[in-house]
Amino acid sequence: MTTDEIPAIVERHLDDQGGLISILEEVQAKFGYLPADALTIVAETTKRPLVDIYGVATFYRAFSLTPRGEHLVSVCVGTACHVRGAPRVAAEFERQLDVKPGETTPDRKFTLETVNCLGACALGPVVVVDGHYFSHVNASKVREIIEKTREGLDKIEIKTDRRIFPVEVSCSRCNHSLMDPEHPIDGFPSVKITQSFGQQHGWLRLSSLYGSYNIEEEYKTPYDTVLHLFCPHCHTELIGGSDCPECGAQMVPLILRGGGTVQICPRRGCKGHILDVG
Amino acid sequence: MYRLATVEEFLSFRRQIVEEPEPDRPCLVVCAGTGGQASGANDILRIIKRYSLEHNLHEQVSLRVTGCQGFCEQDPFILVEPGKHLYPRLSMDDVPRIIESALKGQVVEELLYRESEYHECQHCQDDIPFFKKQTRTILGKNEQIDPIRIFDYTRRGGYHALGKVLLNINPEWIVEEVKQSGLRGRGGAGFPTGVKWESAQAAGNGSGQKYIVCNADEGDPGAYMDRSLLEGNPHAVLEGMLIAAIAISATKGFIYVRSEYPLAIKHALIAIRQARELGLMGKNILNTGLDFDIEIVRGAGAFVCGEETALIRSIEGHMGEPRQRPPYPVQKGLWGRPTCINNVETLSNIPVIISKGADEYAKVGVPGNSGTKIFSLVGKIKNTGLVEVPMGTTIREIIYDIGGGSIGKVPIKAVQTGGPSGGCIPAEKFDLSIDYDSLAEAGSIMGSGGMIVMDEESCMVDIAKYYMNFLRDESCGKCYTCRKGTQRMYEILEDISEGRGTLEQLDLLEELAHVVADTTMCGLGQTASNPVLSTLRYFREEYIEHIVDGRCRAGVCKDLVGAPCQSTCPIGTEAWRYVAHIARGEYEDAYKAIREANPFPSICARVCDHKCEERCRLGQTGTRPVAIRALKRFITDKIDPSIYQPTKALEKKTDKVAVIGAGPAGLTASHYLSLLGYQVTIFEADSKPGGMMFSCIPAYRLPREVLTKEIDAILDENVTLKCNHELGKDVTIEKLFADGFKAVFVAVGAQKGRRLRLEGEESEGVFPSIEFLKAYNINGEQLAKGRVGVVGGGNSAVDAARTALRQKDVQSVTLLYRRTREEMPAFSEEIDAAGEEAIKFETLVMPIRILTDKGRLTGIECIRNKLGEIDYSGRRKPVPIPNSEFILPLDTLVVAISEQPDVDSISPSGEPELKIEDDGTLYADKYHLSCSRPGVFAGGDVVTGPNTVVDAIAAGKKAAVMIDRYIRGEELRQPERAKVPQNYVEPLEISEEELSQLRRAEPPHIPIEQRTSSFVEVEMALPEDDAKCEAMRCLRCDLEFTQPKEKELTEQENETASTVEHST
Repeated sequence: MTTDEIPAIVERHLDDQGGLISILEEVQAKFGYLPADALTIVAETTKRPLVDIYGVATFYRAFSLTPRGEHLVSVCVGTACHVRGAPRVAAEFERQLDVKPGETTPDRKFTLETVNCLGACALGPVVVVDGHYFSHVNASKVREIIEKTREGLDKIEIKTDRRIFPVEVSCSRCNHSLMDPEHPIDGFPSVKITQSFGQQHGWLRLSSLYGSYNIEEEYKTPYDTVLHLFCPHCHTELIGGSDCPECGAQMVPLILRGGGTVQICPRRGCKGHILDVG
Repeated sequence: MYRLATVEEFLSFRRQIVEEPEPDRPCLVVCAGTGGQASGANDILRIIKRYSLEHNLHEQVSLRVTGCQGFCEQDPFILVEPGKHLYPRLSMDDVPRIIESALKGQVVEELLYRESEYHECQHCQDDIPFFKKQTRTILGKNEQIDPIRIFDYTRRGGYHALGKVLLNINPEWIVEEVKQSGLRGRGGAGFPTGVKWESAQAAGNGSGQKYIVCNADEGDPGAYMDRSLLEGNPHAVLEGMLIAAIAISATKGFIYVRSEYPLAIKHALIAIRQARELGLMGKNILNTGLDFDIEIVRGAGAFVCGEETALIRSIEGHMGEPRQRPPYPVQKGLWGRPTCINNVETLSNIPVIISKGADEYAKVGVPGNSGTKIFSLVGKIKNTGLVEVPMGTTIREIIYDIGGGSIGKVPIKAVQTGGPSGGCIPAEKFDLSIDYDSLAEAGSIMGSGGMIVMDEESCMVDIAKYYMNFLRDESCGKCYTCRKGTQRMYEILEDISEGRGTLEQLDLLEELAHVVADTTMCGLGQTASNPVLSTLRYFREEYIEHIVDGRCRAGVCKDLVGAPCQSTCPIGTEAWRYVAHIARGEYEDAYKAIREANPFPSICARVCDHKCEERCRLGQTGTRPVAIRALKRFITDKIDPSIYQPTKALEKKTDKVAVIGAGPAGLTASHYLSLLGYQVTIFEADSKPGGMMFSCIPAYRLPREVLTKEIDAILDENVTLKCNHELGKDVTIEKLFADGFKAVFVAVGAQKGRRLRLEGEESEGVFPSIEFLKAYNINGEQLAKGRVGVVGGGNSAVDAARTALRQKDVQSVTLLYRRTREEMPAFSEEIDAAGEEAIKFETLVMPIRILTDKGRLTGIECIRNKLGEIDYSGRRKPVPIPNSEFILPLDTLVVAISEQPDVDSISPSGEPELKIEDDGTLYADKYHLSCSRPGVFAGGDVVTGPNTVVDAIAAGKKAAVMIDRYIRGEELRQPERAKVPQNYVEPLEISEEELSQLRRAEPPHIPIEQRTSSFVEVEMALPEDDAKCEAMRCLRCDLEFTQPKEKELTEQENETASTVEHST
């Protein structure tokens, strides 16, 4: 990402009455922080004085003028966590990462911050790392949290994790099974449907493991596009689901063997889904 | 989704959904709000889905995923409808069993909720104390609704109010109804919502662009009800906003929500999208001509943006600085247009008011404060979570009946309400009714409903400092007095908490607090002083202790506490120091560290209640504390006491001091007075010295030779011991002064057993425990025969029971206690040992009648108790169960329900009056132990009631200092410096891996067979290797204070390096 894209971001928010915060949020999402150049460009394109932009960028806790690390460790120091020992947890993170709150480790792996309340007071002291919550944290759990983060918090063992399980689905129109045992993904029969994007039509195979997002496709489709999906048997377009809870696109309903439905988001890259069993 | 075109269509759509019959099958409800998900609710959901699919249960069991239901302490849990069986704190393995039993209409008893392992399980959620006293009008909906499904909301009465309003659009009626309901703003200030709406309605001459803003910038740390409502029932907020918009003719709404609440944002976005698609929002809503749409604005993290004028600036895209009011936002708000700002909870109440009607709504609560309020009950409380109660409920009901009281045995001290703008309310005021006005009167505010419970281990100076740190950080800086005032107040609090404070600063702090409150513009500044003012009002004594005594009683302020083990020890033993020496194998140094603080090291190594272990920082990091007492035992068994010789005053003084009572307090005072050179005479009523240590503590805990050896060492040339001299009979205080004693130390203990006050207590075979124990320990008399019953749950009761068991004519021993084993005040290791020795426990029973035959005990009639409400001690009150009486045949009954001082002996007629407290103890000043008559000091059990040996030793040490000051004519209470670690003991190099492998070492016990038939000491010393390993577990809190700074270290290293160079 270069600063060239900033005018486009500004453009998108010009109609918003209070757009500056949204602009800065989006810029920060792209860069991970607010570089000085970016602030100047925002000032130029919004035709607002740089001091205003700087004022907003430094007023709110969410913005950072320095680069952040790969992982963000937020130690809650809200009152409830404070009385249950959060200061010692924060001190232990400081000690082990050897940075002060607000700072990033020299290897850019970790940024440590303290936050005033995450609203999970019953679980205090709470630490959130990249959106993963750790509850009832005490100083002796700190090392483990850092190690888990280094290993990858999203890492799942598809083979051994019992939260991951295969499902069998069929077309919501013709009820024909969509399972393709010939082409397994993750070691299980894949779910085969037809996808269409622009002029291209081709097969799309999804992992049938609930919790795995592995796919194979005949034609590469760009990230973030909403695809049209069809049943390869009755050729009907698979539509009529509810809105994706993550991105709002209309989801694709499929019938589950064993009862119930599963809806998947047709947007490439979106992990939104709803599994209804009753 | 089908877009509805007219109001009629909408109404029939609603009717259809509501009338659709619910499937007749069990439903598993899982709380998957932020708290639930953080505790693993998603894993539970996965397993439910997997099981359902694999077993084809689609038609037989339903699943509902809800937002936060409030019982966050028990997450992740499953609630099974229709029986409302609650299965708390589940693991994935538990799920299949729950599903299977739900299918059969059964329950899994062992997984059901129970208050503790000593309680029966609760079958229905409604019977659980946490829920029983709540009125969950608003929060209860969260349990019934999947927040991402608009149909769920509609089916449970959702959008009924909107239908009512749209059927006959009448803004005046809505405003009137809201006014009538008496609803006050739930965001904190409690401004009447109807009045606000009325002004908003009239503003802008009733026309032009107006805005509705939902304030979901819940920045008050410790409050999370708004998050839960937006997350768990977003449509209720939307419905409230729609009704508000109709009432004031607004066409645009904003929800300003903290970015720290991603799930709430997600659910609100879904709800808005669904409402739009259904046609309930957007242009020309249901063909009524009304336009209204909502946009979500994410707060970027600034507490002050919860203030309405700052919030407006923030939505407009500026820095969130507040501005002067008036004009109020209802006149001039967003972009200068009338803007009505309401809190999430306020808006969630609107559909209820409109649906039920204002009068019906106002029936809940108290006059002037109608409806319910949600509180987030957090901090040092057993049942953390969200609770909803009618306004006017007392704090006590919330904390004890709903919250279940304190987590462990540490009593609750105060509750903080209202967050950084609120104040602390002490436990004495817990009968206060919770409403906007009573809380303000008590120096706090309702605020958004955060209730942070604090116990004796929370320091009030630290709390004030915490909030001030928060406020100086969050102050926007516009007003000088807020910007600088919060900073200065913080600095003063920092000085106090770090031991640099002065009493003058305390006055300055108070003055500053008033100035800041009086001279700032917005709510943040005006209330910023509340945490300081309220803690000063109720806990001034704690501030003074920090300043004058250099002491933080809660053990929080690091610079005053030093090492918690040392600061908690009543006699200031440097536990860390001897533990460090043990790890290094330096046993003599370890002994010296112990003996310097304690004239009775071997005794304390056996019977001390080891407060040091309770506060040990290792024990607060998720593992068990260092076994400090066992380490002391290891050392005192190993080292010859003669290696330590206390420093004595060179000159003998001629002044005589009388000490009455040769228990631990009296002996200690005598020892230290003797070291100062005073001539001490001890008068002891019994035939041998030692007091309770001798007469009550059994030899299997404290062998007699150990006791005698340490007492003998105290009796030096300056000390004269006169046994068989009883106060009030053989000596009187007046006489002692007449005989030339300069001061008298009264340490006669608490020698009178409390009575059951039942008829027949004088019969043969019934003994007060103190008499029973004395008879054996002093005279070797075995009073227990046959079947023995002991009434009580304290150490004295357990001692009596275990002593009885060792007597020769005893068949069985039963311990009778009115509460559960969990609540017994005796040391847990003693209770366990009694259990091992086959002593029977009859808990939850209360004696009601003593049965006798010809003046001799034959048995006791008891009634069974159940645990009722929580009393002032924070424990559940035993309540007799009618018709549960039973008879226990007994030959001996020992009554061990506490002792009290025998005040008649202290102040017999003719004596100078010494003030006696209402509870029958002798009055002595808390700080300098002087009684109401000059020259008389008192300490130990006679002042405190039955207490521990180490507290008595502490009183003795203090008495010696005070008597010395008194005789020399000095001020008794003098400023003291905090006792923080000073001696540097170099730590051993231990890797974290090695450390993580170490487990707390437990001292070995002699075999049970040997125990029950003899008085041989039960506990043995730790073997040397175990002791060393145990000592290595210490976190060495002292090093922070004693370790040479890096600079010094480098200098040292340089020195060593240069030495090496020289030598080569």
